[in-house]
Amino acid sequence: MRVIIDDKECEASYGEYILQVAKRNDIYIPTLCHSDALPGEGSCRLCVVEVIDKGQSTVVTSCIYPITKEITVVTNSKKITNMRKTIVMLLSARVPNNKVVRKLREEFGISEVTRFRLEELEQCVLCGLCVKACEKLGSSAIAAVNRGVTKKISTPYDEPSLVCIGCGACAYVCPTNAITISEDNGSRKIWGKEFELIKCESCGEFYASKEEVEFSAKKLNEKSIQHNCRKCRKKVNAEKFKEIFADVK
Amino acid sequence: MSDKRIVYVCFGTGCLANGSMDVFNEIEKNIENLNLDISVKTIIKSTGCNGLCEKGPVVKIEPDGISYFKVKASDAEEIVKKTILKGEVINRLLYYEATLKRKVKSHKESEFFKRQMKIALRNIGEIDPGNIEDYKINMGYLALDKALFHMSRNDIISEISKSGLRGRGGAGFPTGSKWKQCDSIVSFPKYVVCNGDEGDPGAFMDRSIMEGDPHSVIEGMIICAYAIGAKEGFTYIRDEYSLAIKNMTNAITEARKNGYLGDNILGSSFSFDIQIVRGGGAFVCGESTALMSSIEGSTGEPRAKYIHSVEKGLWGQPTVLNNVETWANVPVIIENGSDWFNAIGTKKSKGTKVFSLVGKVKNTGLVEVPMGTSLRELIYDIGGGIIGDRKFKGVQIGGPSGGCIPEEYLDLSVDYDSLKEADSMMGSGGMIVMDDRTCMVDVARYYLNFLSEESCGKCVPCREGIKRMLEIINDICEGRGKEEDIENLKAISETVSEASLCGLGKSAPNPVISTLKYFSEEYWEHILNKRCRAGVCKELTTYYIGSDSCRGCGLCKKNCPSEAILGEAKKVHFIDGNKCSKCGSCINTCNFDAVKVK
Repeated sequence: MRVIIDDKECEASYGEYILQVAKRNDIYIPTLCHSDALPGEGSCRLCVVEVIDKGQSTVVTSCIYPITKEITVVTNSKKITNMRKTIVMLLSARVPNNKVVRKLREEFGISEVTRFRLEELEQCVLCGLCVKACEKLGSSAIAAVNRGVTKKISTPYDEPSLVCIGCGACAYVCPTNAITISEDNGSRKIWGKEFELIKCESCGEFYASKEEVEFSAKKLNEKSIQHNCRKCRKKVNAEKFKEIFADVK
Repeated sequence: MSDKRIVYVCFGTGCLANGSMDVFNEIEKNIENLNLDISVKTIIKSTGCNGLCEKGPVVKIEPDGISYFKVKASDAEEIVKKTILKGEVINRLLYYEATLKRKVKSHKESEFFKRQMKIALRNIGEIDPGNIEDYKINMGYLALDKALFHMSRNDIISEISKSGLRGRGGAGFPTGSKWKQCDSIVSFPKYVVCNGDEGDPGAFMDRSIMEGDPHSVIEGMIICAYAIGAKEGFTYIRDEYSLAIKNMTNAITEARKNGYLGDNILGSSFSFDIQIVRGGGAFVCGESTALMSSIEGSTGEPRAKYIHSVEKGLWGQPTVLNNVETWANVPVIIENGSDWFNAIGTKKSKGTKVFSLVGKVKNTGLVEVPMGTSLRELIYDIGGGIIGDRKFKGVQIGGPSGGCIPEEYLDLSVDYDSLKEADSMMGSGGMIVMDDRTCMVDVARYYLNFLSEESCGKCVPCREGIKRMLEIINDICEGRGKEEDIENLKAISETVSEASLCGLGKSAPNPVISTLKYFSEEYWEHILNKRCRAGVCKELTTYYIGSDSCRGCGLCKKNCPSEAILGEAKKVHFIDGNKCSKCGSCINTCNFDAVKVK
């Protein structure tokens, strides 16, 4: 079906999200909590747009709004820009020293927030991507705790989680780099738990926690585990391909 | 005089707290001692059904139509010997009707009662919720029989549509349309859900219905389930409502025993059952999608409603979710017909609405009136006016999602659309009356504080926006307000109300928007003059005693907890500012309006 985004005619399939279609058509919509790999949370609300249907305009979140009929979308009206500015201002007040949010603030031309009492050390915007990533991987070691202004992301009872495998997927998806993951001398520390790291059989670099390797082997139902880091795994696979397709010219 | 009397002792939460259990036991004991042929019935009445919950425990004696208030266990013997045995009225225990300036034999003679029209509350106070036979005697389960054996499924849905019934939980979505949409989707299983998570501060109508007339809710749900083809239903009740959970659980068991729930209901091919889910007490779980998420066992967080619950609700299946009061209306509509219901109310809001009338009003309690009744009638005629005949300032309608309405709108018709136009909303029907001793900035602060704790915290505008609005308002109340704060509040309000994920966030700024609109001078007074005219915000309040009106009665001095009031008897008193803790007890107790706010 056809949708019009900012005067541009775009082709969309039924149920596709506005953000997907906009991206494909090089129409910029700012996002913070969006990840192509995970289902949309719609928590940061930066991607709000106006949908005009039968002359009526509604503000919707483009990352989770499914296109089910031919609509017109406006991504940069004054109303939307003002809303995004307020959202960025609110985010800046929450994480005043976060680099990603500061960049957003500059992008929207907002001056430093001085009206509110700020938490200088806070880096997390509570978007919930880390929780989703952990859940999708199958660990569910972290979750949102409490509600309202006291909400935070943590392990159960703030203690080192029994099920955390130290894979760092949470830190990897975090849009504001709020999750500290430190590696030192063959050990990794995350969410208050320490993990022993395993060396790559090929290059000898530490690359993953023991728990992570065992977890993925179990998940993939593999008996013998090959200890290769991501780089070397690529190399090994490339070699295999070469062998298989040796005759093809 | 009848020789057989029924004694009704109210077992509503309010009356129980005031000792109605002891009253009941004592009356029963006295009757046993005298060996009388009288059946004593307990009945659980809504704590506010007659608006007299604060005057409980309530004891009614039928068929004489006598109502006694503030009954103590020590009154039991006299009641049995005089009223039950001889039909004599005990004047001391009767209700004083302020407008008539005399005591009345039955509460039904009061203005408070006469001006009401009970549909959703029809049985409350009249039947024993623990006894299914009581409900059946009062036309109970007749509508179900009619629906199952004399109507088609389409007839039922069109009857509800034609009645004009709209959701009583707040948003006012047409109930018939909801059922119809759900019915049109071919995907099974389908679910029927009752929202009993009532969380608005000051609202207790759903609680009263579940406590006082659980079968009407159950019957409504069964009728809907039959109409849309659902086999399973859930009643979500907040865990704090222990009596509601108890009575609903008992009623469901009774309904099963009587063949109204379970397999092959009343011998038909239709099967349906209801399960109770207890909510953990998060306000946001009253939001339909958060509620469903909670039933599914996940965190009670809402999701976007771009795909409606009638299509994809509980476990992704078509679901009809209505609130308790809506369900209680269903059996009567089916029984009496849509035309009957449609004739009550205004053009777009049909039927009646239950309000919990609380705050600075003389008669507090649950009142049910036809849609379109004016605020003035509700507050002055039914509510009896403002306590101490002080000046009315505003009325907060619709809980944290609603707004404050000022005096100039007292003649506003109370219906979904008029309230929305006035920047308030029906909400679940909480109605908090405020007098001139209420600070409107403080009211906004109260609701923001509530919401800052009760927002689920999922989306940025709601979580961060409410937090920052509260910060600004706290500053204003504590004397740190700045001129630009009003614009800041407006800008954040706009974003929160448009960009938030769910209804909680979208309506969260309403208390701020409405107080800014109708009481902006109070905000400016706080910011510019550092003064709180109501004497509520301590940092901005200084009390003094007016020398021309003080009679030197010493009442304020006696009540002052800080010993800050000095003065000799019959001479003008004065307040020592250094000692004053600004608790306001002097201004509240002075009978001559001599204590003033600087």
